[in-house]
Amino acid sequence: MTHPVELRIPLGVGERLQQIVFRPGNHEYVAFGLVSHARLGTKDVLLVREVIGLDENQYQHAPGHGASWSGTSMLPITERATAEGLGIVVFHAHDHHGTTRLSRDDEQSAMRLLPFFQRRVPARPHASIVLSRDDAAGLFVYPGQDHPARREVRVRWYGQSILNWPARPATHLQSARFQRQELIIGAEGQDTLAMSSIAVVGLGGGGSHVVQQLAHLGIGTLILIDHDHATPDNQHRLIGMTRLDGLLRRRKTSIQRRQVRRINPDTRVTLIHERLPMPATIDALKRADVIIGCVDNLDARADLQQLASRYLIPYIDIGLKARPVTPSSAEEARVAIGGNIATYRPGGPCLWCTGILSDETLTADRCHPERTYATTTDGRPGEAQVVSMNGLLASQAVNEALQLLTGYAGKSITTASSTKKHDPSGAIVGYKKFLGTTGTLDEWGARARHDCLHCHEDLARGDPAWSP
Amino acid sequence: MHPDTITGAVNELRERYGTDVHVAQDGARTLVRINDVPLPPGCQPLATDLLLVLDPSQAKPLHYVRPGQTLSNGQPVQNSSTVVLAGESWMTFSFNVPYLKGDSLARFATAVRQRFGKP
Ligand SMILES: [Zn+2]
Repeated sequence: MTHPVELRIPLGVGERLQQIVFRPGNHEYVAFGLVSHARLGTKDVLLVREVIGLDENQYQHAPGHGASWSGTSMLPITERATAEGLGIVVFHAHDHHGTTRLSRDDEQSAMRLLPFFQRRVPARPHASIVLSRDDAAGLFVYPGQDHPARREVRVRWYGQSILNWPARPATHLQSARFQRQELIIGAEGQDTLAMSSIAVVGLGGGGSHVVQQLAHLGIGTLILIDHDHATPDNQHRLIGMTRLDGLLRRRKTSIQRRQVRRINPDTRVTLIHERLPMPATIDALKRADVIIGCVDNLDARADLQQLASRYLIPYIDIGLKARPVTPSSAEEARVAIGGNIATYRPGGPCLWCTGILSDETLTADRCHPERTYATTTDGRPGEAQVVSMNGLLASQAVNEALQLLTGYAGKSITTASSTKKHDPSGAIVGYKKFLGTTGTLDEWGARARHDCLHCHEDLARGDPAWSP
Repeated sequence: MHPDTITGAVNELRERYGTDVHVAQDGARTLVRINDVPLPPGCQPLATDLLLVLDPSQAKPLHYVRPGQTLSNGQPVQNSSTVVLAGESWMTFSFNVPYLKGDSLARFATAVRQRFGKP
């Protein structure tokens, strides 16, 4: 029995795909997806990088067939796929709700096309997928396979929230314990949380708040990542820490596991006591549905952004900085406290687009000319940390995760739905700035920069497709 | 490295390292991984995977090995750091391996290996 294939479709790309294949007309319409693939834990994932439609004059009149198009119209698409080492997925739609399947004609056409694509790019899978309004089915040929075969398909669309097709019926198993929470996120939302996996990177002043709240929410699996040990001077800000933890220099991962077990023994916990770029950390991060980064250095943020773009995983970053300033009068603050929350929706603007990451900020952030990773988590010596301010940013990060997973504030996948209201520049929501001295959290929004190499180049690249 | 010269360079590597050479197209760049490349005596471990990144925008291939690799005296490589590259964990280090346009990729790989024997 083979596992289902999960198809991940970035913000903007999904909207375009639906516009093409659900277009009303006198024949079916096809869209060609350029895709990479990855093995994420036990999941086979296809990552859609972009979709390409055909012009009306490229379709041929073919009675008895849903859609027929000239072979030459596919040439630029197969050339692009070959040049970039990407697979090709042919999408079309059967416009109805509920379970769908490829027709006999669809399958015969796929049996001819997929081996042709496979000869062009043997190291990537290729597929023919039919979409209904809430389901998908498909025929796939994976590297090394002789014949295309049917696989169950799950589709994950990214927009205001994560939309999964087909939706699973609510089990209502969680109801009694989470009754008041379900008034906001619904019983289906609660089920989704129980089936979700969130990675928290950095278990210090910010991350410990995040972990505590995720356990209360009823998240199914928490992947807790930190290489560090607690010390007595962490206690004023590290949620769940005891005085003995500091004296014994207990691992921060162990302290958070204990916290989670006390709150919600049903939550599965995976501990990674490693620095960020090490293989075990990267493998664990790839399994997450959402990553929350509570790290104190920009190299770590750059790595998380790269993984998020490449594997289409939403990534929420929080950061807080405080520095002393000289007040000109007793009425003015003695410190400047600034923070931010940046939520990366795959396909939307990244941390490089917001300016949080740049070559200049990375150089300035490093203690040495080389990448440092001096600490991945808990503030460098001398940097200010206050539990209540960390908690504010952490709470909002958890709200953002809750919105992504349950869509309590809207579920549309259109780009317009993720655009900051009344902003003519078209900034995408998710970048908020925190001013510590006034306690304000403002939505700034961010636009994908056209010259941003990172979110364009890395988007949906998946695992390298090694050959032979 | 110009895309036209990459195929020839990879074929030459295959003559030297046989089936241990794997190639992946990653957007505009080409990744070449040579599995289990033997290193000079004393290195820990004694073999590593070597990754060469051939980027049309870079004059010279970039080189990486698996994280944790030591020199032949058992010491960590100075000025090394672990990075995420193409979704995997690799160790980069600032050995100055000479490479001129048109140089053989196999010779470049040999120079990287030999450098581990000179602490
Ligand atoms: Zn960007």
